[in-house]
Formats: sequence, C-alpha cells, structure tokens
Amino acid sequence: MNVDGEQPAQKKLKNKQRVMLLSSRGITHRMRHLMNDLEVLLPHVKKDSKLDSKNHLHLLPELADLNNCNNALYFEARRHEDLYLWAAKTPNGPSVKMHVQNVHTMDELKMTGNCLKGSRGLVSFDKGFDETEWGRLVKELFTHIFGVPPTARKAKPFVDHILTFSLLDSKIWFRNFQIVEKDPLQPNGPPQTSLIEIGPRFVLTPIRIFEGAFSGATVYSNPEFVSPAAVRSLQRREKGGKYNSRKDAEEEQGRRKEMRRLEDNELAVARVFA
Amino acid sequence: MGDEEEEDSEDGDEAETSDEDEPMAEDKKAAEDGEASEGDEDEDEDEDEAVLLDDAESVDDDAVPQQKLEIDNQVALERIRQTIQLDPSLPWTETLALTYPEKIEVDVDDDLNRELAFYKQALHSAQAAQKLAAKHNFPFTRPSDYFAEMVKSDAHMERIRQRLLNESAGIKKSEEKRKEREGKKFGKQVQIEKQKEREKSKKDMDERLKNLKRKRKDMLDNTQGNDEDFDVAVEDAISDRPSKRNKGPEGKARIPRQARDKKYGFGGAGRRSKQNTKDSTDNFGPGAGRGKKGKGGDGGKGGKRQRPGKSRRMAARSKS
Repeated sequence: MNVDGEQPAQKKLKNKQRVMLLSSRGITHRMRHLMNDLEVLLPHVKKDSKLDSKNHLHLLPELADLNNCNNALYFEARRHEDLYLWAAKTPNGPSVKMHVQNVHTMDELKMTGNCLKGSRGLVSFDKGFDETEWGRLVKELFTHIFGVPPTARKAKPFVDHILTFSLLDSKIWFRNFQIVEKDPLQPNGPPQTSLIEIGPRFVLTPIRIFEGAFSGATVYSNPEFVSPAAVRSLQRREKGGKYNSRKDAEEEQGRRKEMRRLEDNELAVARVFA
Repeated sequence: MGDEEEEDSEDGDEAETSDEDEPMAEDKKAAEDGEASEGDEDEDEDEDEAVLLDDAESVDDDAVPQQKLEIDNQVALERIRQTIQLDPSLPWTETLALTYPEKIEVDVDDDLNRELAFYKQALHSAQAAQKLAAKHNFPFTRPSDYFAEMVKSDAHMERIRQRLLNESAGIKKSEEKRKEREGKKFGKQVQIEKQKEREKSKKDMDERLKNLKRKRKDMLDNTQGNDEDFDVAVEDAISDRPSKRNKGPEGKARIPRQARDKKYGFGGAGRRSKQNTKDSTDNFGPGAGRGKKGKGGDGGKGGKRQRPGKSRRMAARSKS
C-alpha cells in the first residue's frame, strides 16, 4: 500500500477529487438547506438522491463509484431531529461518523458575506488537528473533501472565501468567511484584508472512525460522546423524578398528619365552648 | 450504542489489514492463551483493547455511560492516513489547504471570544494564502470587472441589506425614545432651575437699581434739568450690557449730523437721485447731462482752461 500517485510520476501531479453528497430519508428543512449550502460552496460535489435505507450503508461506495466519486458525504437524519454526517473515502476507507449540531445555514440574514459561486475556497485547520493521530487523519480527509481541486469543472479561477475548521472542546467547528481585500470605506486606499461571514456554520462531534468506507473495524471512538437520544432520555427521567418525588412528599405529609392527630378530649376546645 | 459496523468489520478488509489490527476473534483467542505469539510491540496494546472489549461486551446490556469503551488505535490511524495521503510534492495550489500555527484555546461558552478566535484563524490563513499565491503566481484576487453568479442571489442580498437598515433604524428609534423618557424625568428639575434663575435675575436688577440710587443721591437732591440724564443712566443700569456709545467725557455733546457726515462719509444718495426731476428735464445748459452734474459747466471761476479738441490742436500746430 503505497501512495497512489507514485506510478504516474512523469505526468504532472494532480489532485483529483470528486465528492458524492447525499442524505438519508427524513431530513428536515434545515438539514436540507445545509446540504444545499455545501453543494453550492463545493463545485466538485455531485449530489445524489436520498438513500432509502439506513441499514444498507454498504450501497454507498457502489453509488459513489457509479458517480465517479472518490469521496462521499452522507447526511443521516435520525428521529427527524438528530443529524449525523459521514465523511468517507470510497472505496477503501476510512470513514468518519460525526454528529452535527448548531446548524446555521447560509439563508440566515445575519451572515452578510457573499462569494462567487464555484470559486475555490481556502481550507484552514488550526494546530489542534496536528496533535492527535485521529486529528491528523480527519484533517487529511477534510482536505480531500472540502478542498476544491483546480480540475473541478465548475470551479472559478479566483479565491474569495475561506473555510475554517477549528478544534475546540474536542469538537470541530466549521465557519466560512468571505475575504474582502478592499476597505469598503476607502476603496482607493491600501488593500486591507478583512473577513465577512458567509455561512453556513455547524459543529461536528466525531463519534467513530472506521477503517473501511461505511464499514470496517473501529479505529477510533470518542469516549466523550453522548448520543443525543441519551441526553434527551436523561432529561425526561429527571422530569419524571420530579413528579415522583412530589407525589412521595404529598403522601408522607398525609401520613404524618394522620399520625399527629389528637384524641378527642374532655377539655377539647369544641366541647368547652360549645 | 451497539454499532453493527464493528461486528461486520472483519469480512471485507482482511487482506488489507496488517498484523497490528487483527480481527477480534483472533485477539480474543490470543488473550485466552495468555502470552501473545507475535512479538510485535503494538500487539500488547491491541490485546489490552481486546480484553477491554470483551468486558464491555459482556456488560453491554445494562451499559452505563462511564464504562464506555475508548478505542484509539494510533497505529492503524497512522497507516490509514498514509494510504490516503496526497503526494507531498503536490504544489499548494492543488489543495489550497493551510494550517494555523496556533491552537484555539478559549472558553467554549464565551460566544464572542470564540468567534473572534475563529476569525483570527481565518484572517491569518487568508493573509498567508495571499503570500503563497503571490509566490506560486496563482490568481487570487478577483478583478473588479469579473462578474459571475454569486452564492447568494441579489434578491437575498437585498433582503440582508434591508434587514441591516431596519436594524439601524430600530436602534435610532429606541435611542430617541430613551432620550424622550429621560427628558420627561428631568423636566421637573429643569422647570425649577428656570424659576430660580428668573428670581435671581430679578434680585440682580433690584440690586443694580439700588446701587444707582445710592450713587445719584446728590443728583436727586437738586432735581433741576438732568432728568433725561438720569433716565439714560437707569437704562444703562438695567440693560445687561451698558452701552459704551455715550461713555465719552461727561457733558460733551454729540457731533452734529452734518459734521459727522463730512468726517466719516455719507452712505450715498437715495435711489431716486439719478431720476430726472422737473428741473433737470428743463435744463439744457452746459452742466446738464448724465454723470456730468456739477462738473465744470460754469468755468467762469477762471481757473484752468479746458484743453481744446484734437482737430483744433492740429490746426494750431500746423499754423505755427
């Protein structure tokens, strides 16, 4: 298993990447918009129709092959509220499963930046990725998937936005900024680089890394990850506990009241002042 | 989290898997045997993991979160990374990937600082990219006459603009409201202040008058003809700025109008001064005519004689 580009060394080396982008059934509008945003931003993406089944992920490498893609991004929606993102190299792996949170799409009016459709974006990683082995792997994978190759047919020749991946709190934070090289206040002044956010935003929590594409042995699992379903059930249980303890207290109060009741007395107030 | 991917991992990739990460079943066996047969240093790690895995699987039914299994197979991760790695000799322009030389270390819940850290990362990378692009002779900046479809449509951008405008208008409005409210709160105080001021000015006036009276007491005694004089002095005292016009030496009369006109000049004749009058209409004498009024005319005063016309002068010259 050597580096792939070794044999055709005479030819000019090229970064050839194509990404298949698809989702499972049952995604909400917000997830769909996020997917559309990614499709717009990455000109080397081929979007495919929704995958019917969540249990037959082994179909995905074949689908990618049919689309001439060597990468895949698969959005998996569960219970119409949780979103998972699979990022994989097809056909031989690896694949990373991540939980997507805090999704803000490009449609939100707070993000005022804009960029060329299909311009190649810079991809920036912070140093945290280089400190762990899984971080390095994820960085390599994301470089393939989110870095637009110059050969992408829909790509435009200039660079006007930057995708940043930052590792914070063992989560991967994604941001997309427009690069503005002229100060809008003094258009003739010296070039002053500034940034305006374009969107989308999301946070990825890596869950597992598998050796193969959508299959294979787990080579990394995140011990800190708690599934959103577990979080919700915990919350519900807490609420249930509140109800139970209240009922218990009420019962106890009644029991005590019964216990403290005095016997009827000769000198009871009701008898004396009848 | 019963992930079935873990279970069916072994089937496909057996040919590829090197000795570091063996299928689980074999690991289990090796653990039961006690010592590992292969003397690889990585093997020990894997065995530990396998044992852990065994424990974890046996209690998986009533799984408790803190017993969650951690897998971090460094060796396998590195090997996988090497298999997919792009050729390092690939020029930067192929990937456009950058690394920020700092780690992001901020409080996660502090939104402002966190976003600032991300912004800084992006800005640093963008500037580094500009330098790299210049080095690789790679077109970076979009020329101003290059137009193409944008990610966000014009309609969407218009909506964004409208929202920004609305926001700023709202801020302005609330600011005004706030000022008004504050004004109401302090209105009473302002009123009181004004009353005080008025009172004070009245008192001041009284004082001044009193002063004047004291000064002029002797004058008042012999009330002769300087009533006017006194009135002027009173006026002066009352007005805030005593006039300086007549502050000259006492008793000296003003210069009469005519004399002043002569000394300082006269503002100019009236508008009608150039209009014909009955006299001027009838007047055909030597002094008549526009602009020559009062000039020359009756040169009978004998002074200077007028210079003769040109023809006359020529004739005189030829004669002599």
